[in-house]
Amino acid sequence: MEIKKKKIRLFLTITGFIFPFLALYTLFTIWPVVQGVYVSFHRWSLMGKLDFVGLDNYSRFLGDKNFVGAMLNTLKFVIITAPSMVVVALMLALLANRESRLKKVLRISYYLPSVLSVAVASFIAQYMFAPYRGFINGFLHSIGTLLFNQELQWLQDPSLVWVTITSMTVWWTVGFSMMLYLSALQDISPQVLESAEIDGANSRQRLFHIVIPLLKPTTYLVSLLQLIACFKVFGQIFLITGGGPASSTRPMIQYIYETAFTKGRMGYAASMSYVLFFVLVLLSLVQQIMQKRSEKV
Amino acid sequence: MIQHAGMKKARIGNASLTIISGMIAIIFLAPILWSLAVSLQVEGRQITSIWDWFKPPYTLQNYPDIIMNSEVPLWMFNSLFIAVVATLLTVFLSAMAAYAIAKIEFRGSRLIFFYFLLGLMVPGEATIVPLFITVNGFDLIDTYPGLIFPAIAGSMNLIIMVTFLRGIPNELIEAVKIDGGNHLTIFFKIVLPLSKAVLSTVSIFAFIASWNNYLWPLLCAMSSSKFTLPIGIPTFAGTYTVDYVKPLTANMVASIPMIILYIIFEKQIVQGITMTGVKG
Repeated sequence: MEIKKKKIRLFLTITGFIFPFLALYTLFTIWPVVQGVYVSFHRWSLMGKLDFVGLDNYSRFLGDKNFVGAMLNTLKFVIITAPSMVVVALMLALLANRESRLKKVLRISYYLPSVLSVAVASFIAQYMFAPYRGFINGFLHSIGTLLFNQELQWLQDPSLVWVTITSMTVWWTVGFSMMLYLSALQDISPQVLESAEIDGANSRQRLFHIVIPLLKPTTYLVSLLQLIACFKVFGQIFLITGGGPASSTRPMIQYIYETAFTKGRMGYAASMSYVLFFVLVLLSLVQQIMQKRSEKV
Repeated sequence: MIQHAGMKKARIGNASLTIISGMIAIIFLAPILWSLAVSLQVEGRQITSIWDWFKPPYTLQNYPDIIMNSEVPLWMFNSLFIAVVATLLTVFLSAMAAYAIAKIEFRGSRLIFFYFLLGLMVPGEATIVPLFITVNGFDLIDTYPGLIFPAIAGSMNLIIMVTFLRGIPNELIEAVKIDGGNHLTIFFKIVLPLSKAVLSTVSIFAFIASWNNYLWPLLCAMSSSKFTLPIGIPTFAGTYTVDYVKPLTANMVASIPMIILYIIFEKQIVQGITMTGVKG
């Protein structure tokens, strides 16, 4: 009897500790994934009855040129932005890691844009890049790079718009990756560098033959995290260009969002969500595996 | 002589790198400083070159104007309320669950831990439409609980906590048990005080994530009385088509608390980033 009572008590204690979080996690993280699959087999506008259509939604998006377009836009963003992010992050970390009086100021300055919300960062970018009254064209005018009657259409020109979006994204989010590089740089033992110096390696040789190879695990990590983050792009593009000019920058999440909430096609939007879902799950699996491996070494 | 020349060259190289790093810092800060400068300008001033934005006369009048005559303070309250509640609940509930998983032996604890690990795989951005359908099913769209619950349902913090709690020596816990303490006492008297550092890091991140969250409130907050700052400010700014002063002031109102928070908690934020980087 005594043992049984104890067991019940233990069970109640454990339930008390775990249940609140377990319930929220199940309802708001796991259940939507399951329910979304169910909805994706139906035609549904959030109101009325669900109309079973089988795999129709899944076969439809392959022929949907808007979806394919959005997917290509997302890929374009990933291909341009992820590598830029890794290179800039490494560069900034190397600069901020040098012994100088500016050390702390540099680290804080490079990270500061990252604390802004996407709404604020996008808004500032929009004003910075605006023609006629924007800061960047104004700056180019004042140093004479741009003639007084010339205006660069940072938000309208189909190729400049990617420069705008990528540079804004790098400015806004590179701080995180830089911090990862900085902490890896601090783990490199000074003796290694000193002995290389004694052996006559100049600073460029030390950088390319010692520092960068030692940072390899961090480079893998940063690259994967950036790939994942770039596939999820939405806020800044939605706010700065609205997906334009002419849907040429509209990313997948925006198209999913519009399908669900402008057109009211929940089932179709849900089915498209799972394309992105699988890309992201795959990437994060790769990340977990690589991290396990590098932790073992 | 040769060595001397080499050192001189190295010194010049060093100095130029310092200048470059400083210039990049200015480029990174320029948009924020510019926004701040604009927010201190008198409305309707004639601007002929960008440098005019930085020139006096300055005024602080735009800040009270925004705070008295717009919905910005309401959105600020919403942002703050949601962020504080979400942070407290995340930290407290995930710490509790993490304690049971890490420190109480019971059958199925590994299974539950694995179930929570699955959550790390779920990309919130990709499941936003399904999440909307779920929350709508509970009738929680356009409510505070609807805005808060999804924010505290991620398992990242729990995993971080479990990893940390496993490092607390069991002897400490056994000692309290021998003195007749139950798990609640252990949790409040031993575990929470010992986890202060990790809890504060997790809290800062939860707070910033909630304060800056965009996609979910964009869907969930329907009426402007439920908007958070990131949702409200673009609609507010959209009503001004030519003027930069008021919209950028509103943006500064939303950002200054974060900037101050960051400067105060810089150390914890740096630690937190390395932690998430390492733990996945």
